[in-house]
Order: sequence, then structure tokens, then C-alpha cells
Amino acid sequence: MGLMAETIPAVEITNLVKDFKTSFGKKLLRAVDGVSLRIMPGEVYGLIGPNGSGKSTTMKALLGLVAPTAGHCAIFGKDSLKVDSRNDVGFLPENPYFYKHLSGAETLKFYGKLCGLGGKLLDARISELLALVDLEGARDRRLGGYSKGMLQRIGLAQALVQEPRLVILDEPTAGVDPVGSRQIRDLIFRLKERGITVFLCSHLLEQVQEVCDHVGIIFRGKMVKEGRLEDLIAIEDQTEIILKDADPELIGKITALVEASGASLVRTGKPRTTLERLFLRETTEGDEP
Amino acid sequence: MTGIQLNKPQGSHFGRIWVIALHAFTQLVRMKVFYFLAVFAVIAIASNFFDLPQHEGPESVGINVLRSIKSWSLGTMTLFSVVLSIVATALLLPKDVEDRTLYTILAKPVPRLDYLAGKLLGVLLLVFVSLALMDILMTVVLHLRAGMVLDQQMAMAQARGWPAEAIAELRADTALHGPSWSLQGAVWAVFLRASIMASLALLISTFSTSTLFTTIISFLIYFIGHFQADARDAYLQAGEAGQGMLVRGAGLVMSLVLPDFQNFNVIDAVIEGQALPMVALAKLSAIGLYYAIFFTGASWFLFAKKEF
Repeated sequence: MGLMAETIPAVEITNLVKDFKTSFGKKLLRAVDGVSLRIMPGEVYGLIGPNGSGKSTTMKALLGLVAPTAGHCAIFGKDSLKVDSRNDVGFLPENPYFYKHLSGAETLKFYGKLCGLGGKLLDARISELLALVDLEGARDRRLGGYSKGMLQRIGLAQALVQEPRLVILDEPTAGVDPVGSRQIRDLIFRLKERGITVFLCSHLLEQVQEVCDHVGIIFRGKMVKEGRLEDLIAIEDQTEIILKDADPELIGKITALVEASGASLVRTGKPRTTLERLFLRETTEGDEP
Repeated sequence: MTGIQLNKPQGSHFGRIWVIALHAFTQLVRMKVFYFLAVFAVIAIASNFFDLPQHEGPESVGINVLRSIKSWSLGTMTLFSVVLSIVATALLLPKDVEDRTLYTILAKPVPRLDYLAGKLLGVLLLVFVSLALMDILMTVVLHLRAGMVLDQQMAMAQARGWPAEAIAELRADTALHGPSWSLQGAVWAVFLRASIMASLALLISTFSTSTLFTTIISFLIYFIGHFQADARDAYLQAGEAGQGMLVRGAGLVMSLVLPDFQNFNVIDAVIEGQALPMVALAKLSAIGLYYAIFFTGASWFLFAKKEF
């Protein structure tokens, strides 16, 4: 990839404003109010915010599904309102259903052909994607018989069919059980390893914290906080030391040292695992990564 | 990146339209719409027995049966093709919006016109295949029955000692009521009428909020289409009597926007055994094409600005 290509942002949203007409006539509802964000290639960006805060509208504007009232959206430098901007993007909407009458392989074939793929290349791509999302066993089963987690995964596979450089995921783990949710999280990690840019929005803050390296918080249509996750959540005036097999005597010495130095000890105790990790440990047979 | 490197082909408009059309066709086929063909088979065979009382001379023995087969078959074809084209078109678009599958399609490099044209083509493909199957069945039934009628008539004519010329004339008259190219032209006219209705339903479904609304309005316009020529004539006559240009203009706009289905009355003439001239068929094809393009263009105009 050339230097120029590296410097073009995967996503660039500039002062996006979107008003919707309300059903009572002239009064406009401002869903997105002056949102700007930039995602560089290879980043995993999480957009978080309460329901109705404008996350989905921002994503739809980026995909050209809604036209901005003001502002501009671009994907790899191409205007979102132009069809060719969609060559490099894959999208998984919230709670997708897809065509129930198609099998997993047929679904991927349909989306692949829409992107101009075909022949043996597409067949190979379908097999590769089904393996990636762990649905090889359900290849010829119709989507009507898929579970929620399987639908999300086939949705992710269709988003990846033309090998886009950017993947947009709207609540990718909504309604999925913890095991399915972990599979999707692992897939996002794999996309990140491959250098694919991911733009996702989710309510599951713990997951966002786990996978994203950049985060934006949107509230009532406005971006209220944005930046590198590490910078945003770090408590600047505190330091964490985690010890293993430390006896009480050592803890006592450290405490005395801390007090002698003039710093203050905020908390000591045992770190806790998360409920998710506990659940996964108890419900899977030792394949926890 | 991944194991298989793709060179990012973007595909052609026709390629994408064909993919969406084949998908819409498969979707409708898997909704088991072809079951109605069994109903048609029953009607085509049963129409053999709808023998009306004879009022004409002995030479027209059996011709009423042939007319009945054509009338019932073409009537059923019209009914199925119009219902299918309206309901299927009215169903496909809102279903995609409701299931959010439309998001995933439009998030791919698919222009909205390609999506609309693909859906319409899929419905037309289904209507065409259905009509072709019904046509084959009708032609076979008609061919067999026309053979039987001809045998009966020849036996009757020879028993009565008719001259050879009269027998040849009778044979030619009866042949007009059997399978003919005009009959195939009438089936094509049925298809054209269904195409107009499908493209009209497509237009309505781009701004409609429900399948029911699209279906009702489409059927309403279908019925209006059978009377609009009369209404237009009445307006024009009124125009000549008084107001003039404005009313004439309104009549012209009405005929440009609303299809005049009286043009398709040639189908009834074919049932009566009259020939369908190529000129009339070409005119019908041009009318069908005009409305299909006009309605699809208008659909695109509305759909291109639609937000999801």
C-alpha cells in the first residue's frame, strides 16, 4: 500500500447534520448535530451512546442510505452519496434477517455476484468466508433455520464478501448469547489482524473496550467525547500494580513504602474476573482463548 | 490480507440487474406461486366441457368449445398474470425494507436503479414463465380439441355430400379457431398488460407505506384503465363544445400517465377467431414498453431520494 493510500482516512465524517421530518408536519427532529470523526486505515473504532442518540443515523449517512442535511461523509476519500464509495465497504445492520429462502452459501453467492464476483473465485471465497465465520456445517441449510448468532455471523460474512477495506457493524452482538457474542468479538480481532478497518456501534461497553482502539461517545446527536481508548479511560494520577503470590508481609512493606513516600494507597484487594469470562469458562469445554 | 486475493471487479449494470432479477424470481418460486398452474390446468381441461347451446348451423358444431377453451384460458391467464404482477411487486420492496435486507444490498456497490430494474425484471420473468407454461397447456388442449372438431365436421360434411370447396372453406374457418400465431400474439398482449401493471405497482410501492395500499391502488388503476378512454373521449367532446385546450391537455396528460387498457381488446377479437395483425401487435408492444419505461423511470426518481 502506498504512502498516499495510508494517509487517506478510511472514514471521514465532517460536521454531519441530519434532520428528520416528524409526523406532525413541519417540526424537524435533529438526529445528528454536527458530528465529525475520522478513522484511519486499520483502526477499530467504537461509537457508543444511548438509544436514539444518532449512532445508526451516522452509519446510514456514511453508507449513503440517508442524505446529510449538512456536512459530508467519505469512505477512503470517496463521497458516500456516490455508489463507487461502496466498493470498499461491508455493512452488517442491526438485527439483520436476510433472505430466509436462501442457504448460507447461496446468500454469500448472491452478495458476491452483486459485487461483480463470479465463477471459481467466488466459490473459493464463499468456502473461505464460511470457514472464517465457522458456518461450514450450515453451508446448505436455509437461513430460516439459523439461530440469531449464526445470522449475525453469516451477516458478517456477507459484509466481507468483496474483501472490503472497511467493515461497518451496527450492534453486531445485539441479542446474541455470550458464546456467540465471543465468536463475533474474536472475528473482529481477526479482521483487525488482517488490517481491515472496523467501525462499530454497540451497547456492550465491555466489548467495545475490549476490541476498539478508538472510541467516540455520542449523546443527543452530538459527539461529546472522542479519542484513543487508552487515553480516554486512563486515570492519569493513579498507577496499578498487580502482584501474584504476594504474602501479607510484602503487602505491608509496600504499604509502608507508599505512605513514607507521601503518595496514598487507594485500594488493595483481589482483581475479579468478569462475569462473561466466568460464564464462558463454565459453558465451554476448555477452548477459552 | 486473506488467502484468496480478489481484484475488486465491480460488475456491469446488466450483470447486477440479472442477479437481482434471478434472485427475485427464485424468491417468488420458493413462495410456491407455481401452484396456481395446477388450477389453470383444471380450468383449461374443464373449459372443454363448457359447451354452450347451439344457435348456429351444423357447420359451427364444436367451434363454441374451441372459443370457450380460448376464452377461459386467456381469461385465466389475464387474471393470474395481473394478480401475480401486482401482488408480487407490491410484496418484494416493502419486505426488503422491513427485513433490512435492502440495507445490505444498497450498502454494496448497487445503484438504486439496478435494484428496482432487477426486482421488476424478476417479477416479469416469473409472469413470462407462468404464461409460457399456461400457453403450452392451452395450445396442446386446443390442438387436440380442434383436431376432434375438424374430424366431426368433415364426417358431417361428407355425410351431407357437401362440395369440396365448401368443405375446404369449413376446414379453413375451423382452423381459425384452433392454435394460431394470432393466439400467441394474444398471449404476448396478456404479458404486456401484466408488465404495465407490474411497473405501475413498482412505482406505487416506492412511496406506499404498505403492501395492501399498493395492491388496492394498482387494481383501482387497472380498472380505471379499462374506462379511461371513454372518459377521455367524453372530456374531448366536452372540450370541443366549450373549454377547448385545457380539457384537451388534461385528457392527453391522463392518457400519458394512465394506461389505456382498451388497446388490449384485440385479445377478445382473437378469441372470436379474428387474426391479430403484426401492426397491432407492434403497437401494443410499443405501448407496453412506453409505460414500463415511464413507470420504472418515475419509480427511480422517487426511490433515488428515498431514505431508509
